[in-house]
Amino acid sequence: MEYILHLLIFISIYVLLSQSLCLTAGYSGLISLAHIGFYGVGAYTAAILSVNYGMPFLVTLPLSMLLSGLVAVAVSVISLRTVDDYFIIITLGIQVAIFSVMNNWQGVTRGPLGIPGIPSIKILGFPFDTKISFLLLSLFFVSIVWFLLNNITRSPFGRVLIALSEDEIFAKSLGKDVYKAKIISFTISAMFASIAGVLYAHYISYIDPTSFTINESIFILSIVIIGGMRNLLKIALAAAFLVLLPEALRFIGMPNSIAANMRQIIYGIVLIMVIFKNSENFKSRSSYYTS
Amino acid sequence: MPIQIILNIALQFSIISLVGISFLLIFNTGKYYAIHHSAIIALGGYFACLFYSHLGFSLPLSIIISIFLPTLIGLFIEILIFRNLRKRNNETFFLIIASLGVYIIMQNIISLFLGDDSKTIRIGEVQVGNEILGAYISNVQIIIIAASIILCGTTLLFLKFSKIGKYMRAVSSNEELSNIFGINSDHVILWSFGIGSALASIAGMLIAFDTDITPSTGFKILFYGVVAMIIGGVGSFKGLIGGALLLATAQHLSAYYIDSKWMDATAYIILILFLIWKPLGFSGKRLEKVEI
Repeated sequence: MEYILHLLIFISIYVLLSQSLCLTAGYSGLISLAHIGFYGVGAYTAAILSVNYGMPFLVTLPLSMLLSGLVAVAVSVISLRTVDDYFIIITLGIQVAIFSVMNNWQGVTRGPLGIPGIPSIKILGFPFDTKISFLLLSLFFVSIVWFLLNNITRSPFGRVLIALSEDEIFAKSLGKDVYKAKIISFTISAMFASIAGVLYAHYISYIDPTSFTINESIFILSIVIIGGMRNLLKIALAAAFLVLLPEALRFIGMPNSIAANMRQIIYGIVLIMVIFKNSENFKSRSSYYTS
Repeated sequence: MPIQIILNIALQFSIISLVGISFLLIFNTGKYYAIHHSAIIALGGYFACLFYSHLGFSLPLSIIISIFLPTLIGLFIEILIFRNLRKRNNETFFLIIASLGVYIIMQNIISLFLGDDSKTIRIGEVQVGNEILGAYISNVQIIIIAASIILCGTTLLFLKFSKIGKYMRAVSSNEELSNIFGINSDHVILWSFGIGSALASIAGMLIAFDTDITPSTGFKILFYGVVAMIIGGVGSFKGLIGGALLLATAQHLSAYYIDSKWMDATAYIILILFLIWKPLGFSGKRLEKVEI
Protein backbone atom coordinates (compact mmCIF):
# COMPACT_ATOMS: atom_id res chain seq x y z
CA MET A 1 0.00 0.00 0.00
CA GLU A 2 2.80 2.38 0.97
CA TYR A 3 4.48 1.51 -2.30
CA ILE A 4 1.37 2.37 -4.33
CA LEU A 5 1.01 5.68 -2.49
CA HIS A 6 4.68 6.42 -3.19
CA LEU A 7 4.12 5.80 -6.89
CA LEU A 8 1.02 7.99 -6.90
CA ILE A 9 2.95 10.85 -5.29
CA PHE A 10 5.66 10.52 -7.93
CA ILE A 11 3.05 10.47 -10.66
CA SER A 12 1.51 13.68 -9.36
CA ILE A 13 4.92 15.40 -9.19
CA TYR A 14 5.63 14.39 -12.78
CA VAL A 15 2.14 15.44 -13.89
CA LEU A 16 2.83 18.89 -12.43
CA LEU A 17 6.18 19.08 -14.22
CA SER A 18 5.03 17.86 -17.59
CA GLN A 19 1.83 19.91 -17.65
CA SER A 20 3.78 23.05 -16.84
CA LEU A 21 6.22 22.24 -19.65
CA CYS A 22 3.23 21.75 -21.92
CA LEU A 23 2.55 25.50 -21.74
CA THR A 24 5.92 26.36 -23.28
CA ALA A 25 6.68 23.29 -25.37
CA GLY A 26 3.17 22.53 -26.58
CA TYR A 27 1.39 25.85 -26.75
CA SER A 28 4.11 28.37 -27.51
CA GLY A 29 6.24 25.88 -29.45
CA LEU A 30 9.38 26.59 -27.42
CA ILE A 31 11.04 23.23 -26.78
CA SER A 32 12.82 23.89 -23.50
CA LEU A 33 15.37 21.49 -22.05
CA ALA A 34 15.92 23.70 -19.01
CA HIS A 35 12.68 22.76 -17.31
CA ILE A 36 14.34 20.49 -14.76
CA GLY A 37 16.62 23.40 -13.92
CA PHE A 38 13.68 25.43 -12.65
CA TYR A 39 12.36 22.40 -10.81
CA GLY A 40 15.79 22.19 -9.19
CA VAL A 41 15.82 25.90 -8.32
CA GLY A 42 12.48 25.38 -6.56
CA ALA A 43 13.71 22.31 -4.70
CA TYR A 44 16.97 23.93 -3.60
CA THR A 45 15.30 27.17 -2.49
CA ALA A 46 12.79 25.29 -0.37
CA ALA A 47 15.48 23.01 1.07
CA ILE A 48 17.91 25.80 1.96
CA LEU A 49 15.23 28.07 3.44
CA SER A 50 13.63 25.35 5.54
CA VAL A 51 16.83 23.65 6.73
CA ASN A 52 18.98 26.73 7.40
CA TYR A 53 16.35 29.27 8.41
CA GLY A 54 13.50 27.04 9.58
CA MET A 55 10.94 28.78 7.40
CA PRO A 56 7.48 27.18 7.12
CA PHE A 57 6.11 25.73 3.88
CA LEU A 58 3.68 28.62 3.34
CA VAL A 59 6.67 30.99 3.14
CA THR A 60 9.09 28.82 1.19
CA LEU A 61 6.59 27.94 -1.56
CA PRO A 62 5.95 31.54 -2.72
CA LEU A 63 9.65 32.40 -2.32
CA SER A 64 10.70 29.41 -4.44
CA MET A 65 8.16 30.30 -7.09
CA LEU A 66 9.36 33.89 -7.05
CA LEU A 67 13.04 32.99 -7.37
CA SER A 68 12.34 30.46 -10.10
CA GLY A 69 10.26 33.05 -11.93
CA LEU A 70 13.03 35.65 -11.66
CA VAL A 71 15.61 33.22 -13.03
CA ALA A 72 13.18 32.32 -15.82
CA VAL A 73 12.63 35.96 -16.77
CA ALA A 74 16.37 36.67 -16.83
CA VAL A 75 17.08 33.55 -18.85
CA SER A 76 14.20 33.90 -21.29
CA VAL A 77 14.94 37.55 -22.10
CA ILE A 78 18.27 36.34 -23.45
CA SER A 79 17.41 32.94 -24.88
CA LEU A 80 14.25 34.07 -26.69
CA ARG A 81 16.40 36.14 -29.01
CA THR A 82 16.88 32.85 -30.82
CA VAL A 83 14.40 30.49 -32.45
CA ASP A 84 13.76 26.81 -33.10
CA ASP A 85 16.89 24.65 -32.99
CA TYR A 86 19.03 27.38 -31.48
CA PHE A 87 16.54 27.79 -28.67
CA ILE A 88 16.81 24.07 -27.86
CA ILE A 89 20.60 24.35 -27.73
CA ILE A 90 20.48 27.51 -25.60
CA THR A 91 18.12 25.88 -23.08
CA LEU A 92 20.50 22.92 -23.03
CA GLY A 93 23.19 25.42 -22.07
CA ILE A 94 20.98 26.92 -19.36
CA GLN A 95 20.43 23.45 -17.94
CA VAL A 96 24.20 22.83 -17.90
CA ALA A 97 24.77 26.19 -16.20
CA ILE A 98 22.12 25.64 -13.51
CA PHE A 99 23.48 22.17 -12.83
CA SER A 100 27.00 23.54 -12.61
CA VAL A 101 25.88 26.16 -10.07
CA MET A 102 24.16 23.47 -7.95
CA ASN A 103 27.23 21.26 -8.14
CA ASN A 104 29.92 23.89 -7.57
CA TRP A 105 28.53 26.65 -5.37
CA GLN A 106 29.41 24.68 -2.28
CA GLY A 107 28.95 27.51 0.19
CA VAL A 108 25.20 27.49 -0.39
CA THR A 109 24.17 24.22 -2.01
CA ARG A 110 26.82 21.96 -0.39
CA GLY A 111 27.68 20.74 -3.89
CA PRO A 112 27.61 16.99 -4.59
CA LEU A 113 26.98 16.22 -0.90
CA GLY A 114 23.41 17.44 -1.23
CA ILE A 115 21.14 18.81 1.47
CA PRO A 116 19.87 16.18 3.94
CA GLY A 117 17.21 16.46 6.65
CA ILE A 118 14.60 18.58 4.92
CA PRO A 119 11.62 18.68 7.31
CA SER A 120 8.20 17.47 6.23
CA ILE A 121 5.54 20.00 5.31
CA LYS A 122 3.54 21.62 8.09
CA ILE A 123 0.63 23.90 7.29
CA LEU A 124 -0.91 25.82 10.23
CA GLY A 125 0.28 23.17 12.67
CA PHE A 126 -1.03 20.22 10.66
CA PRO A 127 1.86 17.93 9.64
CA PHE A 128 1.79 16.26 6.23
CA ASP A 129 4.15 13.51 7.29
CA THR A 130 2.19 10.43 6.28
CA LYS A 131 2.13 9.30 2.67
CA ILE A 132 -1.63 9.54 2.32
CA SER A 133 -1.77 13.14 3.54
CA PHE A 134 1.15 14.12 1.31
CA LEU A 135 -0.61 12.51 -1.64
CA LEU A 136 -3.73 14.56 -0.95
CA LEU A 137 -1.62 17.73 -0.72
CA SER A 138 0.12 17.06 -4.02
CA LEU A 139 -3.18 16.18 -5.69
CA PHE A 140 -4.46 19.52 -4.45
CA PHE A 141 -1.56 21.30 -6.18
CA VAL A 142 -1.98 19.20 -9.32
CA SER A 143 -5.64 20.15 -9.56
CA ILE A 144 -4.92 23.85 -9.01
CA VAL A 145 -2.19 23.90 -11.67
CA TRP A 146 -4.34 21.84 -14.05
CA PHE A 147 -7.24 24.25 -13.57
CA LEU A 148 -5.02 27.31 -14.10
CA LEU A 149 -3.34 25.86 -17.19
CA ASN A 150 -6.68 24.84 -18.62
CA ASN A 151 -7.93 28.40 -18.23
CA ILE A 152 -4.72 30.03 -19.45
CA THR A 153 -4.69 27.97 -22.63
CA ARG A 154 -8.32 28.78 -23.40
CA SER A 155 -7.95 32.47 -22.67
CA PRO A 156 -7.09 35.11 -25.32
CA PHE A 157 -3.50 34.86 -24.11
CA GLY A 158 -3.49 31.12 -24.84
CA ARG A 159 -4.75 31.79 -28.34
CA VAL A 160 -1.90 34.26 -28.85
CA LEU A 161 0.51 31.48 -27.85
CA ILE A 162 -1.06 29.05 -30.32
CA ALA A 163 -0.97 31.70 -33.02
CA LEU A 164 2.70 32.46 -32.48
CA SER A 165 3.67 28.80 -32.51
CA GLU A 166 1.83 28.35 -35.81
CA ASP A 167 3.14 31.44 -37.53
CA GLU A 168 5.19 33.94 -35.60
CA ILE A 169 5.34 36.62 -38.28
CA PHE A 170 1.61 36.49 -38.88
CA ALA A 171 0.90 36.84 -35.15
CA LYS A 172 3.22 39.83 -35.12
CA SER A 173 1.42 41.40 -38.04
CA LEU A 174 -1.83 41.22 -36.07
CA GLY A 175 -0.25 43.46 -33.47
CA LYS A 176 0.49 40.80 -30.86
CA ASP A 177 3.62 41.26 -28.77
CA VAL A 178 5.18 37.88 -29.55
CA TYR A 179 8.36 38.38 -27.52
CA LYS A 180 6.43 39.36 -24.38
CA ALA A 181 3.95 36.50 -24.73
CA LYS A 182 6.82 34.02 -25.00
CA ILE A 183 8.54 35.43 -21.91
CA ILE A 184 5.31 35.32 -19.91
CA SER A 185 4.54 31.72 -20.86
CA PHE A 186 8.12 30.63 -20.15
CA THR A 187 8.01 32.28 -16.72
CA ILE A 188 4.63 30.86 -15.75
CA SER A 189 5.76 27.40 -16.68
CA ALA A 190 8.99 27.76 -14.69
CA MET A 191 7.02 28.90 -11.62
CA PHE A 192 4.71 25.89 -11.83
CA ALA A 193 7.73 23.62 -12.19
CA SER A 194 9.18 25.02 -8.96
CA ILE A 195 6.02 23.93 -7.09
CA ALA A 196 6.86 20.38 -8.11
CA GLY A 197 10.43 20.97 -6.91
CA VAL A 198 9.29 22.14 -3.48
CA LEU A 199 7.03 19.10 -3.10
CA TYR A 200 9.84 16.78 -4.19
CA ALA A 201 12.35 18.29 -1.73
CA HIS A 202 9.96 17.95 1.21
CA TYR A 203 8.84 14.47 0.22
CA ILE A 204 12.27 12.87 -0.34
CA SER A 205 13.80 15.02 2.44
CA TYR A 206 17.21 14.86 0.74
CA ILE A 207 18.28 16.51 -2.51
CA ASP A 208 21.50 16.47 -4.49
CA PRO A 209 22.38 17.78 -7.97
CA THR A 210 22.10 14.35 -9.64
CA SER A 211 18.28 14.54 -9.49
CA PHE A 212 18.37 17.57 -11.79
CA THR A 213 20.42 16.44 -14.77
CA ILE A 214 19.78 16.83 -18.46
CA ASN A 215 18.48 13.24 -18.63
CA GLU A 216 15.53 14.19 -16.43
CA SER A 217 14.83 17.16 -18.70
CA ILE A 218 14.67 14.84 -21.67
CA PHE A 219 12.37 12.55 -19.69
CA ILE A 220 9.89 15.39 -19.00
CA LEU A 221 10.04 16.45 -22.62
CA SER A 222 9.31 12.90 -23.74
CA ILE A 223 6.24 12.81 -21.47
CA VAL A 224 4.96 15.95 -23.19
CA ILE A 225 5.70 14.57 -26.65
CA ILE A 226 4.14 11.19 -25.90
CA GLY A 227 1.09 12.98 -24.48
CA GLY A 228 0.58 14.79 -27.76
CA MET A 229 2.07 18.23 -26.99
CA ARG A 230 -1.15 20.14 -26.28
CA ASN A 231 -3.47 17.81 -24.45
CA LEU A 232 -3.34 18.21 -20.66
CA LEU A 233 -5.28 15.00 -19.94
CA LYS A 234 -3.20 12.87 -22.28
CA ILE A 235 -0.02 14.34 -20.83
CA ALA A 236 -1.18 13.36 -17.34
CA LEU A 237 -1.86 9.82 -18.59
CA ALA A 238 1.52 9.69 -20.32
CA ALA A 239 3.24 10.77 -17.09
CA ALA A 240 1.48 7.98 -15.20
CA PHE A 241 2.38 5.48 -17.92
CA LEU A 242 6.06 6.42 -18.04
CA VAL A 243 6.43 6.42 -14.26
CA LEU A 244 4.74 3.03 -13.94
CA LEU A 245 6.43 1.34 -16.92
CA PRO A 246 9.85 0.82 -15.32
CA GLU A 247 8.21 -0.43 -12.13
CA ALA A 248 7.26 -3.50 -14.15
CA LEU A 249 11.00 -4.22 -14.31
CA ARG A 250 10.99 -4.66 -10.55
CA PHE A 251 8.48 -7.47 -10.81
CA ILE A 252 10.58 -9.26 -13.40
CA GLY A 253 13.24 -9.29 -10.72
CA MET A 254 15.87 -7.08 -12.25
CA PRO A 255 18.57 -5.92 -9.81
CA ASN A 256 18.49 -2.24 -8.85
CA SER A 257 21.84 -1.37 -10.41
CA ILE A 258 20.65 -2.43 -13.84
CA ALA A 259 17.09 -1.16 -13.40
CA ALA A 260 18.15 2.51 -13.22
CA ASN A 261 19.85 2.30 -16.60
CA MET A 262 17.14 0.11 -18.11
CA ARG A 263 14.56 2.69 -17.04
CA GLN A 264 16.25 5.41 -19.11
CA ILE A 265 16.82 3.08 -22.05
CA ILE A 266 13.09 2.31 -22.06
CA TYR A 267 12.26 6.04 -22.08
CA GLY A 268 14.59 6.57 -24.98
CA ILE A 269 13.06 3.73 -26.97
CA VAL A 270 9.51 4.87 -26.24
CA LEU A 271 10.43 8.42 -27.26
CA ILE A 272 11.90 7.35 -30.59
CA MET A 273 8.95 5.04 -31.28
CA VAL A 274 6.46 7.82 -30.61
CA ILE A 275 8.35 10.20 -32.88
CA PHE A 276 8.35 7.59 -35.62
CA LYS A 277 4.69 6.88 -35.20
CA ASN A 278 3.51 10.45 -34.91
CA SER A 279 5.91 12.37 -37.07
CA GLU A 280 3.21 12.73 -39.72
CA ASN A 281 0.60 13.85 -37.20
CA PHE A 282 2.77 16.49 -35.61
CA LYS A 283 3.34 18.12 -38.94
CA SER A 284 0.07 20.01 -39.05
CA ARG A 285 -0.27 21.28 -35.54
CA SER A 286 -3.34 23.31 -36.40
CA SER A 287 -5.41 20.11 -36.51
CA TYR A 288 -4.93 19.85 -32.75
CA TYR A 289 -6.59 23.16 -32.23
CA THR A 290 -9.56 22.65 -34.51
CA SER A 291 -10.38 19.11 -33.41
CA MET B 1 53.22 30.44 -15.42
CA PRO B 2 52.01 31.99 -18.68
CA ILE B 3 53.70 29.35 -20.89
CA GLN B 4 51.82 26.59 -19.09
CA ILE B 5 48.54 28.41 -19.70
CA ILE B 6 49.35 28.77 -23.38
CA LEU B 7 50.06 25.04 -23.62
CA ASN B 8 46.80 24.23 -21.84
CA ILE B 9 44.91 26.56 -24.17
CA ALA B 10 46.51 24.88 -27.19
CA LEU B 11 45.48 21.47 -25.88
CA GLN B 12 41.88 22.48 -25.17
CA PHE B 13 41.71 24.33 -28.48
CA SER B 14 42.80 21.29 -30.46
CA ILE B 15 40.28 19.00 -28.75
CA ILE B 16 37.40 21.47 -29.14
CA SER B 17 38.16 22.14 -32.79
CA LEU B 18 38.50 18.43 -33.61
CA VAL B 19 35.15 17.65 -31.97
CA GLY B 20 33.58 20.78 -33.44
CA ILE B 21 34.65 19.90 -36.98
CA SER B 22 33.34 16.35 -36.63
CA PHE B 23 30.02 17.76 -35.45
CA LEU B 24 29.85 20.48 -38.06
CA LEU B 25 30.36 17.95 -40.88
CA ILE B 26 27.16 16.22 -39.80
CA PHE B 27 25.35 19.46 -39.06
CA ASN B 28 26.07 21.01 -42.44
CA THR B 29 24.73 18.13 -44.48
CA GLY B 30 22.16 16.63 -42.09
CA LYS B 31 20.90 20.06 -40.92
CA TYR B 32 20.23 19.15 -37.32
CA TYR B 33 22.02 19.05 -33.98
CA ALA B 34 23.10 15.42 -33.63
CA ILE B 35 23.32 15.30 -29.86
CA HIS B 36 23.92 11.55 -29.91
CA HIS B 37 27.30 12.42 -31.41
CA SER B 38 28.50 12.86 -27.81
CA ALA B 39 27.93 9.15 -27.22
CA ILE B 40 30.10 8.35 -30.25
CA ILE B 41 32.90 10.43 -28.68
CA ALA B 42 32.53 8.53 -25.42
CA LEU B 43 32.44 5.20 -27.28
CA GLY B 44 35.81 5.94 -28.91
CA GLY B 45 37.38 6.37 -25.50
CA TYR B 46 35.63 3.40 -23.97
CA PHE B 47 36.51 0.98 -26.74
CA ALA B 48 40.15 2.05 -26.57
CA CYS B 49 40.04 1.45 -22.83
CA LEU B 50 38.27 -1.89 -23.18
CA PHE B 51 40.45 -3.38 -25.90
CA TYR B 52 43.79 -1.98 -24.82
CA SER B 53 43.64 -2.04 -21.03
CA HIS B 54 41.24 -4.88 -20.31
CA LEU B 55 41.43 -7.32 -23.20
CA GLY B 56 45.16 -6.76 -23.78
CA PHE B 57 45.10 -6.10 -27.52
CA SER B 58 48.15 -4.44 -29.03
CA LEU B 59 48.06 -0.64 -29.23
CA PRO B 60 47.70 -0.21 -33.04
CA LEU B 61 45.03 -2.92 -33.24
CA SER B 62 42.96 -1.43 -30.41
CA ILE B 63 43.24 2.04 -31.96
CA ILE B 64 41.96 0.72 -35.28
CA ILE B 65 39.11 -1.17 -33.60
CA SER B 66 38.09 1.80 -31.50
CA ILE B 67 37.92 4.05 -34.56
CA PHE B 68 36.16 1.44 -36.66
CA LEU B 69 33.43 0.29 -34.23
CA PRO B 70 32.01 3.73 -33.24
CA THR B 71 32.00 4.74 -36.91
CA LEU B 72 29.99 1.64 -37.75
CA ILE B 73 27.58 2.40 -34.92
CA GLY B 74 27.21 5.99 -36.13
CA LEU B 75 26.45 4.84 -39.67
CA PHE B 76 24.04 2.22 -38.39
CA ILE B 77 22.08 4.82 -36.38
CA GLU B 78 21.91 7.14 -39.37
CA ILE B 79 20.60 4.41 -41.66
CA LEU B 80 18.20 2.93 -39.14
CA ILE B 81 16.69 6.06 -37.59
CA PHE B 82 17.56 9.41 -39.08
CA ARG B 83 17.32 8.55 -42.77
CA ASN B 84 13.80 7.21 -42.22
CA LEU B 85 12.79 10.19 -40.09
CA ARG B 86 14.08 12.59 -42.72
CA LYS B 87 11.90 10.91 -45.31
CA ARG B 88 8.80 11.22 -43.18
CA ASN B 89 9.02 14.93 -42.60
CA ASN B 90 11.56 17.65 -42.79
CA GLU B 91 11.14 19.50 -39.51
CA THR B 92 14.51 19.44 -37.78
CA PHE B 93 12.83 19.60 -34.39
CA PHE B 94 11.90 15.89 -34.59
CA LEU B 95 15.41 14.95 -35.58
CA ILE B 96 16.82 16.74 -32.51
CA ILE B 97 14.33 15.06 -30.18
CA ALA B 98 15.05 11.66 -31.72
CA SER B 99 18.74 12.36 -31.37
CA LEU B 100 18.22 13.15 -27.67
CA GLY B 101 16.46 9.79 -27.35
CA VAL B 102 19.34 7.99 -29.07
CA TYR B 103 21.80 9.80 -26.81
CA ILE B 104 19.94 8.64 -23.69
CA ILE B 105 19.87 5.05 -24.92
CA MET B 106 23.55 4.96 -25.89
CA GLN B 107 24.78 6.67 -22.75
CA ASN B 108 22.89 4.22 -20.57
CA ILE B 109 24.07 1.23 -22.56
CA ILE B 110 27.64 2.43 -22.01
CA SER B 111 27.16 2.79 -18.27
CA LEU B 112 25.25 -0.51 -18.14
CA PHE B 113 28.05 -2.56 -19.70
CA LEU B 114 31.15 -0.58 -18.78
CA GLY B 115 30.20 1.07 -15.50
CA ASP B 116 29.58 4.64 -14.41
CA ASP B 117 33.00 5.21 -12.85
CA SER B 118 35.80 6.98 -14.68
CA LYS B 119 38.18 4.85 -16.72
CA THR B 120 41.83 5.57 -17.42
CA ILE B 121 44.28 4.11 -19.87
CA ARG B 122 47.87 4.00 -18.72
CA ILE B 123 50.66 3.49 -21.21
CA GLY B 124 53.71 2.44 -19.25
CA GLU B 125 54.56 4.32 -16.10
CA VAL B 126 53.53 7.83 -15.25
CA GLN B 127 56.28 10.09 -16.53
CA VAL B 128 57.19 13.68 -15.90
CA GLY B 129 56.28 15.56 -19.07
CA ASN B 130 58.71 17.22 -21.43
CA GLU B 131 59.85 20.61 -20.25
CA ILE B 132 59.43 23.55 -22.60
CA LEU B 133 60.50 26.94 -21.20
CA GLY B 134 59.50 25.99 -17.69
CA ALA B 135 56.16 24.43 -18.66
CA TYR B 136 55.34 20.75 -18.80
CA ILE B 137 53.62 18.82 -21.56
CA SER B 138 53.29 15.05 -21.77
CA ASN B 139 53.90 12.97 -24.87
CA VAL B 140 50.20 12.17 -25.21
CA GLN B 141 49.36 15.86 -25.16
CA ILE B 142 51.86 16.54 -27.94
CA ILE B 143 50.26 13.73 -29.93
CA ILE B 144 46.80 15.26 -29.30
CA ILE B 145 47.84 18.66 -30.62
CA ALA B 146 49.64 17.18 -33.64
CA ALA B 147 46.82 14.76 -34.45
CA SER B 148 44.25 17.51 -34.20
CA ILE B 149 46.16 19.84 -36.52
CA ILE B 150 46.71 17.05 -39.06
CA LEU B 151 43.12 15.77 -38.94
CA CYS B 152 41.49 19.21 -39.07
CA GLY B 153 43.74 20.24 -41.94
CA THR B 154 43.07 17.04 -43.86
CA THR B 155 39.32 17.39 -43.37
CA LEU B 156 39.31 20.97 -44.63
CA LEU B 157 41.42 20.00 -47.66
CA PHE B 158 39.15 17.00 -48.24
CA LEU B 159 36.10 19.27 -48.26
CA LYS B 160 37.79 21.68 -50.61
CA PHE B 161 39.30 19.37 -53.21
CA SER B 162 37.88 15.83 -53.14
CA LYS B 163 34.78 14.77 -55.03
CA ILE B 164 32.84 13.67 -51.93
CA GLY B 165 33.88 16.87 -50.15
CA LYS B 166 32.51 18.95 -53.00
CA TYR B 167 29.28 16.96 -52.88
CA MET B 168 29.06 17.62 -49.16
CA ARG B 169 29.39 21.33 -49.68
CA ALA B 170 26.77 21.16 -52.42
CA VAL B 171 24.30 19.30 -50.21
CA SER B 172 24.92 21.67 -47.31
CA SER B 173 24.22 24.72 -49.41
CA ASN B 174 21.15 23.37 -51.20
CA GLU B 175 19.96 19.80 -50.88
CA GLU B 176 17.15 19.85 -53.44
CA LEU B 177 19.23 21.49 -56.11
CA SER B 178 22.05 19.00 -55.63
CA ASN B 179 19.52 16.17 -55.94
CA ILE B 180 18.44 17.64 -59.25
CA PHE B 181 22.06 17.58 -60.40
CA GLY B 182 22.23 13.86 -59.67
CA ILE B 183 23.93 13.93 -56.27
CA ASN B 184 22.36 11.37 -53.95
CA SER B 185 21.99 13.42 -50.78
CA ASP B 186 21.34 10.37 -48.57
CA HIS B 187 24.61 8.95 -49.75
CA VAL B 188 26.48 12.18 -49.04
CA ILE B 189 24.93 12.53 -45.59
CA LEU B 190 26.03 8.96 -44.88
CA TRP B 191 29.58 9.88 -45.90
CA SER B 192 29.59 12.88 -43.60
CA PHE B 193 28.26 10.73 -40.77
CA GLY B 194 31.05 8.26 -41.37
CA ILE B 195 33.84 10.83 -41.43
CA GLY B 196 32.31 12.79 -38.54
CA SER B 197 31.98 9.66 -36.38
CA ALA B 198 35.54 8.58 -37.15
CA LEU B 199 36.91 12.00 -36.16
CA ALA B 200 34.74 12.01 -33.03
CA SER B 201 35.92 8.57 -31.95
CA ILE B 202 39.55 9.64 -32.46
CA ALA B 203 38.87 12.69 -30.28
CA GLY B 204 37.29 10.51 -27.60
CA MET B 205 40.22 8.10 -27.72
CA LEU B 206 42.76 10.92 -27.37
CA ILE B 207 40.87 12.31 -24.38
CA ALA B 208 40.83 8.86 -22.79
CA PHE B 209 44.60 8.48 -23.30
CA ASP B 210 45.26 11.93 -21.84
CA THR B 211 42.95 12.15 -18.83
CA ASP B 212 40.14 9.80 -17.96
CA ILE B 213 36.71 9.19 -19.40
CA THR B 214 33.21 8.90 -17.92
CA PRO B 215 29.91 8.32 -19.78
CA SER B 216 29.19 12.06 -19.62
CA THR B 217 32.58 13.26 -20.89
CA GLY B 218 31.43 13.17 -24.48
CA PHE B 219 28.48 15.40 -23.74
CA LYS B 220 30.62 18.05 -22.08
CA ILE B 221 33.13 18.16 -24.93
CA LEU B 222 30.37 18.20 -27.53
CA PHE B 223 28.74 21.11 -25.70
CA TYR B 224 32.00 23.06 -25.98
CA GLY B 225 32.14 22.21 -29.67
CA VAL B 226 28.57 23.44 -30.20
CA VAL B 227 29.29 26.68 -28.33
CA ALA B 228 32.39 27.21 -30.49
CA MET B 229 30.26 26.57 -33.55
CA ILE B 230 27.57 29.05 -32.51
CA ILE B 231 29.97 31.84 -31.62
CA GLY B 232 31.84 31.26 -34.85
CA GLY B 233 28.72 31.68 -36.93
CA VAL B 234 26.85 28.44 -37.58
CA GLY B 235 27.99 26.51 -40.63
CA SER B 236 31.42 28.03 -41.14
CA PHE B 237 34.57 25.98 -40.56
CA LYS B 238 36.90 28.96 -40.20
CA GLY B 239 34.46 30.54 -37.74
CA LEU B 240 34.43 27.31 -35.77
CA ILE B 241 38.22 27.33 -35.40
CA GLY B 242 38.15 30.97 -34.28
CA GLY B 243 35.33 30.18 -31.85
CA ALA B 244 37.25 27.21 -30.44
CA LEU B 245 40.32 29.41 -29.88
CA LEU B 246 38.26 32.07 -28.11
CA LEU B 247 36.45 29.51 -25.97
CA ALA B 248 39.61 27.64 -24.97
CA THR B 249 41.39 30.88 -24.07
CA ALA B 250 38.50 32.17 -21.98
CA GLN B 251 38.07 28.83 -20.20
CA HIS B 252 41.71 28.48 -19.22
CA LEU B 253 42.05 32.10 -18.17
CA SER B 254 39.01 31.68 -15.92
CA ALA B 255 40.41 28.40 -14.62
CA TYR B 256 43.69 30.13 -13.79
CA TYR B 257 42.28 33.29 -12.25
CA ILE B 258 39.06 32.00 -10.63
CA ASP B 259 38.69 28.23 -10.30
CA SER B 260 38.79 25.30 -12.69
CA LYS B 261 35.35 24.08 -11.63
CA TRP B 262 33.68 27.05 -13.33
CA MET B 263 34.88 26.11 -16.84
CA ASP B 264 31.44 24.90 -17.92
CA ALA B 265 29.82 28.06 -16.68
CA THR B 266 32.41 30.16 -18.54
CA ALA B 267 31.48 28.46 -21.79
CA TYR B 268 27.87 29.30 -21.14
CA ILE B 269 28.57 32.93 -20.21
CA ILE B 270 30.46 33.39 -23.48
CA LEU B 271 27.50 31.94 -25.35
CA ILE B 272 25.16 34.43 -23.61
CA LEU B 273 27.43 37.40 -24.30
CA PHE B 274 27.54 36.47 -27.97
CA LEU B 275 23.79 36.08 -28.11
CA ILE B 276 23.29 39.52 -26.62
CA TRP B 277 25.75 41.49 -28.72
CA LYS B 278 26.47 39.34 -31.75
CA PRO B 279 23.66 36.81 -32.20
CA LEU B 280 24.98 35.91 -35.65
CA GLY B 281 28.44 34.93 -34.49
CA PHE B 282 31.52 36.69 -35.79
CA SER B 283 31.40 35.30 -39.26
CA GLY B 284 29.21 34.47 -42.16
CA LYS B 285 25.74 33.08 -42.08
CA ARG B 286 22.62 34.40 -40.43
CA LEU B 287 20.31 32.82 -37.91
CA GLU B 288 17.01 32.44 -39.64
CA LYS B 289 13.90 34.25 -38.43
CA VAL B 290 15.86 36.24 -35.84
CA GLU B 291 15.98 39.32 -37.99
CA ILE B 292 12.30 39.29 -38.84
